Amino acid sequence: MSVAPARALPSSPPVSRLAARGGLKAGERRVGWIFMVPALVAFTAVILWPFISALGLAFTRYDLRTPEPIFIGLANFRAILASPQILGSFVTTFVFVTLATVFTVAVALAWALILNQSFRGRALLRTATLIPWVLPATVAAFVWAWIFNSRFGVLNAALLSMGIIDLPQAWLSTSAGAMTAVVITKVWISVPVTTTFFLAGLQSMDREQIDAARVDGASDWHVLRDHIMPHLRPVLLVVLVLAVIGNLQQFDKIFALTGGGPVRATTVLSIEVYRLAFDSWDIGMAAAVGLLWVATIVPPAFLYLRHLLKDA
Amino acid sequence: MTITRRTLIAGAGAGLGTLAFASAAQAQAAGASFMSFSFAEEANRALVQKLVDDFSARGSAMQVIGSAWGDMQRNVMLRQRSRQLPTAVQISERWLPSFAGMPEIMNLDEAVGRPALEAAIEPNVLNVGRHEGRQLALPMATGSIGMIANREVLQRAGVERVPVTIAELRTALLAVRDRIPNSVPMAMATKNPNSIPLDVLIWVWAHGGRVIDDAGKVVVDDPRTVAAFEFMTQLMRDRLIAPEIDRPDSRRLFGQGATGFYIDAPQARTFARTFSGRGEAFDAVLQPMAIPVADSSIPPVAMAWGNMVIFFRTGDAARDALAGRFAQYLISDEVQATFPPALSALPVTRAARNSPAVANDPYFSAWARATGQVRLHEIGVWSNAPELSVILSEETQAALLGQKTVAQAIAAMKPRLEASMQRRA
Repeated sequence: MSVAPARALPSSPPVSRLAARGGLKAGERRVGWIFMVPALVAFTAVILWPFISALGLAFTRYDLRTPEPIFIGLANFRAILASPQILGSFVTTFVFVTLATVFTVAVALAWALILNQSFRGRALLRTATLIPWVLPATVAAFVWAWIFNSRFGVLNAALLSMGIIDLPQAWLSTSAGAMTAVVITKVWISVPVTTTFFLAGLQSMDREQIDAARVDGASDWHVLRDHIMPHLRPVLLVVLVLAVIGNLQQFDKIFALTGGGPVRATTVLSIEVYRLAFDSWDIGMAAAVGLLWVATIVPPAFLYLRHLLKDA
Repeated sequence: MTITRRTLIAGAGAGLGTLAFASAAQAQAAGASFMSFSFAEEANRALVQKLVDDFSARGSAMQVIGSAWGDMQRNVMLRQRSRQLPTAVQISERWLPSFAGMPEIMNLDEAVGRPALEAAIEPNVLNVGRHEGRQLALPMATGSIGMIANREVLQRAGVERVPVTIAELRTALLAVRDRIPNSVPMAMATKNPNSIPLDVLIWVWAHGGRVIDDAGKVVVDDPRTVAAFEFMTQLMRDRLIAPEIDRPDSRRLFGQGATGFYIDAPQARTFARTFSGRGEAFDAVLQPMAIPVADSSIPPVAMAWGNMVIFFRTGDAARDALAGRFAQYLISDEVQATFPPALSALPVTRAARNSPAVANDPYFSAWARATGQVRLHEIGVWSNAPELSVILSEETQAALLGQKTVAQAIAAMKPRLEASMQRRA
């Protein structure tokens, strides 16, 4: 019996061109990167580069009297710490974010519970709920500005006709009135989307669980506390975090409604940055306040991203 | 659909091509332009459009861009930083120190020629556009900021005489408040930080006080200035002025017969004609008046007012030459005889001022008689004017709305103004 001589194995086996370039997976990764390039370029040009530039400007003096930025280290941050007006903006932001978030979540939850019931006209009401969300933010702000207007406002007209007030009130000219107005406007605009979140959560709930609780004698409050709220907890977390982020970023509605006034009653951080940059033309200080403003948004954004990645 | 490398490259090429075409189209569209706040005002839009159209008809295409008065400085600064400056910009005389530092601003001594400017315009008018030895702005229309009374409102309120003193003014305002329902007796600017300083300065001067003296010293705690703030806050407490009023509101209220008095430039006539809906027939209702003063030892003081135009170099010789031609056009007899009077403002050239249409206009004569002393806006003359205006407005508003007492507002305002002046130095 003859044995065929063993064929010598080549030192590097011939492979396809695809395999030579890392195989199918590597090819997909490359195509993936190609598709990401436009988005990365846009992100770098529109977000990353301006952000890094602003970061740099925070350490400069750059105003009407300095055509080019001059490096001044931490002087802008020391000036912020010494400015009661700017520190007051942090307090105003905290008040606005807290009130707007709490009332948005509370009203939206209540409204979602109502819209989750079976009644005639429910579909129509659900659709109508979305109207404030559909309106452009500045239009909504101007609508509310007219409602609160001291001379021609509907609110004054209604209260005068009911005899509740004797003279027209300048609602937007008191600190409390202006803050109330911007919170009401923000809540009015935010409730539709937040309601949609809660409604989606409620519709995924097992009705039998509630029915069983009712058979056991649970009251409405107990059903809400012990069954509905635990079920909605993941939705609630997302809604809360998104609301906090959105309210921290709020600018257009407040600017259109009160311009940050009266005096500084509604000057939240976004308005403060705008005023410093475009009223006082102190770009360096505006960038420094902007940097601290971003720092306030980072924790809730981190929480939200962590929640998203955990579920991914 | 399968995306091959070839379709991907073709798509990217098409995208880049579209982008390049759009950029070229935009570059072509970015020709000579005139940015104007009068164009943004409903009452004056057609006038400015005609002004620019007539210039374009001479073969030099010019586009007009509207920007609200309150946003003008902001828009110019933003355009400078994005390298999209217009060829010419209409400004208020008090903004010149803020714009003077811009490297692109044109020196009209060179662009138009000093002899040509001096031949056409009186030196005192021309000097309003001069800054640190350079002619940086071209006066286009001039006048003063003073007070206007509505004769019909005063008549309905039983006020027989235009008030001369602060005490008489208070009496007249009380009469308007009590006899004309839903009126704002005096439409003082109380809302917009850009408008508040003007009214405040007028009332401070009417009490013989100052906010910042000629040497740059903050003197807001002077007893006469404090008295002016007490006067304004008392007006608010007595509902003789109202919150939430800006200059455009004042003009509308005046035209609608809902206010007795307000402070404005002579342009008030044009706005009143429009907002009353009665056109020139409303002229008889307007009564220019001297600013009432705290006592007879204080002369009535009005504020210098002017619409000026600044020009920017682009580096393009043809466009810079066009800017020079536009400047010459603005001070030509053709424009000066028609445009400023149509705005209810005085022309700036000698020839137009001496024309019968201007010299015989009873409104201009009455305005000139009422003007008294004319003083420059004492905040606007400083290069840190925007910051000073914000501080003055915030603290004044705090006092007017009762958030602070006058003493507290002054105590807060003084160190803030001083710190700003120190930074400027």
